[in-house]
Amino acid sequence: MLYDELPDEWKEWVDLDPLERFRQSELLFAQYLAMGGSLDPDPDPTCPFYDPEASGSGPAYGRSGLRVVRRGPV
Amino acid sequence: MGGQACVLYGAAQFSKDIDFFLLADEENYAQLQKALDELQAHRIAVPKFDPDVLARGHAVHFRCRAEGVAGLRVDILTRLRDLSSFATLWDRRTTIDDGDGVLYEVLSVPDLVLAKKTQREKDWPMISALVENHYHKLGDEETSARIEFWLLETRITQRLTELAVRFPVQTAALVSRRPLLQLAAAENLDGLRTALDAEVRAEQARDRAYWEPLKIELEQFRREERGQ
Repeated sequence: MLYDELPDEWKEWVDLDPLERFRQSELLFAQYLAMGGSLDPDPDPTCPFYDPEASGSGPAYGRSGLRVVRRGPV
Repeated sequence: MGGQACVLYGAAQFSKDIDFFLLADEENYAQLQKALDELQAHRIAVPKFDPDVLARGHAVHFRCRAEGVAGLRVDILTRLRDLSSFATLWDRRTTIDDGDGVLYEVLSVPDLVLAKKTQREKDWPMISALVENHYHKLGDEETSARIEFWLLETRITQRLTELAVRFPVQTAALVSRRPLLQLAAAENLDGLRTALDAEVRAEQARDRAYWEPLKIELEQFRREERGQ
């Protein structure tokens, strides 16, 4: 997507300097972990390292992790 | 390199792992071992850590246990398809100083773009964003190297046609290396979209061919580890 067509939030992200982005990314990462986000790789059959028999380590820091409990009709 | 580099260049917001591209020599491996020990990193998948295996293009995968980084995955590589030698990549790297004396050494944007040309679908939008961000930041400070990079790697049709109009001489000179630039110069957007898609499929096929023998080897490593 052209820069001019990016949502404002993404424009702000792109316009940060690299170090500011790195620090903001660390905050996002911490938030992701606090929500129970997993650090396992997303299953990706197009990745050469993908091993369908490999088991993940589970959610980070012993949290229960996230699962979909409700979906819309579409 | 990898997702963290994409964060630093503004093409991603965070990455769940850290990929390190290393100079393959004994002294560096000793330093790596010290760092892995400090992170309490243990290997989580095949292959085992072996310089010869790394030299063939494999990655070695670790997970950290140390406080503050528990669960974090670290991947180590010493060779990437189509990329220059480590010395050349090092010469072209970007260094970011955090102001507290910590330096982050990152693949240059053009080298990161090459590294991202994989069979994985998720890497291609990242390439588009890396090149577009580079142009957004440096488009008014053109150099011959930057113009060449933008013309050879831009993946957004509107941007590519704009570049072809802005730099017609360079575009004509690069058509032999990237034939779809003719479509960009002619502002043939439909044709350009089709050609860009074909370019991705061809590159993905090259990456799959590169990985084919390595995947066979990975499967062998897995069988050995499972005692089969």
